[in-house]
Amino acid sequence: MDAITPVVIATLGAGTPLIYAALGELVTEKAGVLNLGVEGMMLVGAIVAFILVLTTGSTTVGVAGAAVAGALMALLFAFVTLTLQANQVAAGLALAIFGTGASAFIGKGYIGVALERATPAGFTLPIDIPLVGPLLQALHPLVYLSWLVFAGVSWFLARSRVGLALRAVGESPGSAHAVGYPVIRIRYLATLFGGAMAGIGGAYLSVVYAPLWLEGMVAGRGWIALALVVFATWRPARVMLGAYLFGGITIIQFFAQGAGVGVASQFMSMLPYLATIVVLILISRDATRMRLNAPVSLGKPFHPSS
Amino acid sequence: MRIIDRREFLKSASSLGVAALGARAIDAFAQDVLNIGVVHQFPIGEVGWETQQALGWKAIEAAFGGKVKVTAVADVQQAQDAERVFRELASRGNKLIFGTTFSQMAPMLKVARALPGTHFDCCASVTTTKNMGAFEARNYEATYLAGVVAGRMTKSNVLGWVGAFPVPQVLWRLNGFMIGAHSVNPKAVCNVIWINTWNDPAKEKDAVAALVSQGADVLAGSPNTPVQGVAAEERGAWSIANCSDFSKFVTKRQLTGDILDWRSAYVESARDELAGKWKAQDRFRGLGEGGFCTMAPYNPAIPAEVVADVKQREADIIAGKLKVFAGPLKDRDGKERVAAGASLPDKEIRSINWVVGGVNGAFPKS
Repeated sequence: MDAITPVVIATLGAGTPLIYAALGELVTEKAGVLNLGVEGMMLVGAIVAFILVLTTGSTTVGVAGAAVAGALMALLFAFVTLTLQANQVAAGLALAIFGTGASAFIGKGYIGVALERATPAGFTLPIDIPLVGPLLQALHPLVYLSWLVFAGVSWFLARSRVGLALRAVGESPGSAHAVGYPVIRIRYLATLFGGAMAGIGGAYLSVVYAPLWLEGMVAGRGWIALALVVFATWRPARVMLGAYLFGGITIIQFFAQGAGVGVASQFMSMLPYLATIVVLILISRDATRMRLNAPVSLGKPFHPSS
Repeated sequence: MRIIDRREFLKSASSLGVAALGARAIDAFAQDVLNIGVVHQFPIGEVGWETQQALGWKAIEAAFGGKVKVTAVADVQQAQDAERVFRELASRGNKLIFGTTFSQMAPMLKVARALPGTHFDCCASVTTTKNMGAFEARNYEATYLAGVVAGRMTKSNVLGWVGAFPVPQVLWRLNGFMIGAHSVNPKAVCNVIWINTWNDPAKEKDAVAALVSQGADVLAGSPNTPVQGVAAEERGAWSIANCSDFSKFVTKRQLTGDILDWRSAYVESARDELAGKWKAQDRFRGLGEGGFCTMAPYNPAIPAEVVADVKQREADIIAGKLKVFAGPLKDRDGKERVAAGASLPDKEIRSINWVVGGVNGAFPKS
């Protein structure tokens, strides 16, 4: 293998959990719901997937279970914020903390247990193409699935009728309600989708990547995913770019360290957040661009009677 | 034996609140059982740091049976919580209390000062007082032997080390490893990646991938989990376990490992306490009978003469004939750290902040 291929493979791997979590959160936020509990939902997804794979031996069951578990966490959040009209920021932070504790509790008996490793998934090409060949061989199906999710979310938001309704709900829930869209139901579904995606992102970490369970093993990726949505100014394509950028920063830093290049790794760990702050400054200076992409009613509760 | 976590422990503590005085009196008079408390920072898993600590206090029960009662409180993550748990354990009549990690040193010091009648022992503590002892492993002796194996087994002459943080406990192991490898293979180098976390297995895996793709074929470091070994095995590289034996997970390509064994630390403290002659000691021990580290089984792929050589060196270390940090020894910048004929004093080993030549990689100042 040449010098670039391993970096590319590792970057694609490191970016994948961020893609799931951030695309899910993007859809949630486009509907006007700010769910800060991504870290918690990812952790619950991670432990549920781990236990399911350990007991059933099937990665598919594990990933599906993680999606359901993440969606259930999101349902809790949706009930509190959409039905009971609680503050979304407070509820989201509570969800993150709750998920951290709940996953630790569920995973009590699974610490330090390692999974039977699945045979390396991926395709082997009949002919050897540099970069592409080894790439296809090394990538897990969940990486491909993340690309499909990206295509799906992009199409859904930009081209589909329901996507348009969802965006309308995020922009102006009052008007959407007036023309007959079920605002609360759409927000519920968007939030559930976000939870399911976060669950899959967590599952990728515990089942495909590590594969083992450790308390808090999501290690801040949920928060990076949140930052990523802002960094991407609510555009799916930029989410992809940002996920690989943020994932790649860690990887490049490791490769640099291994090659003896001195970089302060603490500085590199803080780069994603720094980049997000820079983007926030940029978009807040350009009011039009901000208005074009950011859901106007993000985080604001809606009640049909108001 | 009882293992409880922090929440359950504090809950029962508060419900006992009113009766606490009475309960304490009963503890003191009604039995001559020695109550011993242990505080773990994280849950006790199947392998890893906490597991090795638990093997230590379980050995107390095996050795003294009905004469002791051990209460282990797990998952006390924050130092301020540890302080409360130490106090609570003491007030419930535990005469001997163990801390299991460096971060418990400060809260334990505080509690020990306030409760001079209770005896404390803290793993990885760097301070002792009249009623608080310390125990720490000279596990650079074990990584030295692992380094000898690695130096012989590497084909690329590149070793890899995934480190959590560049603290002395990790640096003395890294130096031991490199000195061992150099003693048999002067061409060997060791590339180091610091991941700045104890519990992000995904990053450990990425770091292993980076090291292997840059030519490393024997991976060591400070993993508390089998992740590193598993990732190395997937890429056809060898690995060295740390803390616990990971050969159950790394079935083919684990060469050996430096294993922590705290049994004698726990058992001796309990024995002295039972005999009424416990004294605060600073125990810093390596390989051998009653030591705090051992080697994991050697992989059958290691040639017999290499294993024989390593075993001979182990015997020499135990006999005191071989010192790992023996002079002349320079750090990688060429500065002489140990003069010829001398060896590094324990005090300097325990505050080591330099690495020997052959270690590549950036060192964030810790």
